[in-house]
This record gives sequence, structure tokens and C-alpha cells, in this order.
Amino acid sequence: MSARRIVITSGKGGVGKTTTTANLGAALAKRGKKVVLVDADIGLRNLDLVLGVEKRIVFDLVEVVEGRCQLRQALIKDKRFASLSLLAAAQTREKTAVSEEQMRRVIDELSELADYVIIDCPAGIEHGFRNAVAGAREAIVVTTPEVSSIRDADRVVGKLKERGLSIRLVINRLRPEMVKSGEMMSSDDVREILAADILGIIPEDEEVVDTTNRGEPIVLDSTRRLASIYNKIARRLDGEKVPFTSLEPPGFFDKLFTLWKVG
Amino acid sequence: MMEALDTAALQPEAEIAVEVPAALGRAIVFTSGKGGVGKTTTTANVGAALAAGGKRVVLVDADVGLRNLDVVLGLESRVTHHLLDVLEEKVELDQALIRDKRCERLFLLAAAQSREKEDVDGAKMKALIERLRAQFDFVLIDCPAGIEMGFKNAVIGAQHAVIVCTPEVSAVRDADRVVGLLPNDWRPELIINRVKLQLVKRGKMLSVDDVNGILHLPLLGVIADEPDVIVSTNKGEPIAFRTNSTVGSAYRTIAAKLAGKNVPAPLPRDEGGFFSALGAIFGGR
Repeated sequence: MSARRIVITSGKGGVGKTTTTANLGAALAKRGKKVVLVDADIGLRNLDLVLGVEKRIVFDLVEVVEGRCQLRQALIKDKRFASLSLLAAAQTREKTAVSEEQMRRVIDELSELADYVIIDCPAGIEHGFRNAVAGAREAIVVTTPEVSSIRDADRVVGKLKERGLSIRLVINRLRPEMVKSGEMMSSDDVREILAADILGIIPEDEEVVDTTNRGEPIVLDSTRRLASIYNKIARRLDGEKVPFTSLEPPGFFDKLFTLWKVG
Repeated sequence: MMEALDTAALQPEAEIAVEVPAALGRAIVFTSGKGGVGKTTTTANVGAALAAGGKRVVLVDADVGLRNLDVVLGLESRVTHHLLDVLEEKVELDQALIRDKRCERLFLLAAAQSREKEDVDGAKMKALIERLRAQFDFVLIDCPAGIEMGFKNAVIGAQHAVIVCTPEVSAVRDADRVVGLLPNDWRPELIINRVKLQLVKRGKMLSVDDVNGILHLPLLGVIADEPDVIVSTNKGEPIAFRTNSTVGSAYRTIAAKLAGKNVPAPLPRDEGGFFSALGAIFGGR
């Protein structure tokens, strides 16, 4: 088995990298794929919280790298999906505790065990970023439709291109009513600025904060609007052609139609 | 939609004289651990409010490589020199300071966009902050996300920290980690950002007590989640300059507290009235 190796990154923090990682991982596992999520945010880990497995961490990424445990011992299996597991980051260590080469070796080893290895990158473009992208072949750049987020994403896209990674965008926290009133950029604006294809468009949803705080990825509850959107993004990532959903029926102007799509 | 800029808010209060301070100013770092919780927006608005109140203020963007403070202030097209140019003695400090368009007491020292955080020399950064303290009442440092080199360089010259946190478990955890990395003799103050009263009331969001029950920090302020913050950020017009905005007034109260005035922590109001709002955000869960 040799897995797809995907890093989820953004430059700017707080745009939804960890939430996207957890939900895409859970959605792929629900489709029967074997998925390993890797938290590369050493010192400020949070993927364990979002998945609700924080009390079950025994070993972490740094201990694997330092040879204190076997890789398999450090993988925490999700209780809801047998095919989803997490390699947690160390909380009390620094990002420099792991080198790019060590990270590459861990990702190589993990890719023998899974269909997907998804790496949750820390904010910024320092050592932690370089580690997170070291073992990846593909990148998903998460951005919100805000000037500062897009500016940081642009900087990151440049760095990813230098490294030869393929890049797709997830536009997060889009507020259609603000796009409509001209107060927020549309997904097409973002795509043009960053010159990369869109993998998914996720509308702002206040339920996310609550499900994240409770450690339950929103894809677990299929009645939630965002669950179906993450599922679509996972299918797209898995190679299916899935159309975007328009939020309003297509009107007279095609331009308007493209403003309201999500999915 | 946004109203016209309220220029009355930019006039200094009568009792504060505008002058170069005799004593050294205060250097405060705005930090959080987690990104995207509002450090840059908070730095810009607290700085704008302090300057509107008559203080001489310089904002330092320590996020080398991913700068944004210039955008939030609407000064991005005026950036010609930056922090690293000054540290590397390529230009004089005065050449790199950008005066705000709206308030003459407010200045920005921008970060370099195409350089790395590892390029910053910690000792030189510390000396620069000290120089700025001699010229300004307040030196506000906008820290990058994370706890790597960029964090260390942002903290090195400061004497005080303001922790920005949102009512999310992950933000609280990261904030707690950052407090542990600050010098032991500091007493950082807390701003809780993006509180949604309606969600707190329904038990769908952590309350102020939930957050501070973990962090135990002196509460400097609570900022409500309002869409006009995004609009003002995108437009590069700090909301603190607007007297008719509740978020703007919350920032001005925070600034007054930092300037040493004895005022209660500002709390967001909602249509349920002040006391129900108080009950909701403090005891929500």
C-alpha cells in the first residue's frame, strides 16, 4: 500500500486547518478508506481535541522519531471509525525536536499502512511548516475570503510550488450574504488571486465551534449542513467528479450564479 | 454598511498632553499561541484607541514573512522600509516608521514580507524596542502565531503581555501554553475575542468564566463577534476610531485601562439588556 500524502496548510492561523483535517479524515474513513492523521503542530497540538481523543494519547510523534516507541504503538484508533487513526504531536516539546528528514521517514512509514496520510500543518512558515510539508506530495491550502488570509495563503502557495507539491484550495467560512453585499470576496475572486483549483467551499457555520469544543467532527452527524459539504469534498479528493451546490437558483446573470456556490 | 469615519474620536482628550515622554514608554506584546484569534486586529484597534486618546503609539509587526498589520491599518501601499531594514541598519528608524493617515500620533513599523523569521537577531530586536520606548508612550508588538522563533523575537523586548483568546477549547489550550512560556514575573492580561452572546446563552459557546476558569488571568476586556469587524479589517479602517460602534467602544475602554485608568472590564451588550448579557457571558454553561 502506498498512500496519498496530503498536507493541510494555510500560512495564517485560525482559518480552519485542524477542523478541515479532522473532518476530511473522518469523511474518508466513513467511505471505507484507511486514514492516518498526523498532527505536526508540536507544542500547540489541537487535532486530538477536535477528534475527542486527547485523553488517550500515550505516545507522540517526537517519541516515535526518538525511537522510544514503535510507530504502531503511537497510533490512536478512533472509536467511531476503525480505519481512522491519529499520530499526535508532543505538547511540551519544540518544533525543532523533529527534522525534515525524520518527518519524511515517518510519513514514508505511515504511507505503507494507509490509503491517506493527512498532515495538519501549524500556522506560519517556520520550522514547523517545513517539517509538515517535508513528507507530503499534495497540499490543500485552507483560506478564508479575507485579505490577510489570502495574502498569507499566497505566500504559502509560492513555497509549496517551489517544492513541487500539487495544490488545491479549500475556501472556508464564506458568508454568502456578505459576498452578495460586496463586503466579502467570492470564491472565484479567491481562485483567481491564488491561481489554484478549488477543492471545496465551506460556508460559515456557528455550529462548528460547538462540535469542535466537544471533540466530535461535524461529519459524524449527517443531519448537519456542513457534514454533506465535507463528504462532498472527501469524494472530490478521492477522485469523483462532484458538482458544487448553488445556494440560490441560477438567475439571469451567470456571474451571480457562480457567487453563491458551496460544496 | 460602515458609517463615515468619526473624526471627533481622533481628537485627544483634554487632560492628556501630546508630548514626547520623559520616561520610557511601555512595550506590550499581543500574543495567543493559536493563530486567527484576532491578535492583529486587537493590536491595531488598541493602538488606534490609545492614539485617539492622546498617546504616542507605535505598532510593531513582528510577523516577518506573513505581515498583515499594514493591511488592517490600510497602510500597505505606504510600506517602503521594514523592521529588518532597521535591524540590519540599512535605513534609519525614522525612515521606516509609517505615520497613520487618520491619527498623527499613531505609527507602524512593518514586517518584511519576503524574509524569514530566523533572519531577526534577538539582541538587536530587544535594543530596537528599547529605542522605540524612548520615543513613544506605547510600543505594541503584534506577535506571530505559534511559539517558534517569531514568538521569541516578539516577546524579547516587551515588559508586558496581552493574551488574546477566543471561547474555543483549542484557543484556550494554546493560550495556556503561551502563558507558561512568558517570564514568571509577568502578569499577562486577557482579552476574550469573538464572544457570541446568543451562543453562550444557549450553552453552545464557552462563557468568560469557562475560559478564565482555566487561564486565571486579569480580564482586560471582552469583544463581541460582529461582522463589521471583518469589514473594517478588509477596508483597513480600525473600528476603534468609530464612536458609534460597540466593538469600537470596547477597544477604547481596553485602551483606557492600559493607560492606567480605573474602568471596569468592557462587556458586550445585547438586546436582552445589560444584566442579562452579564449573566450570559459569565455564567453561560
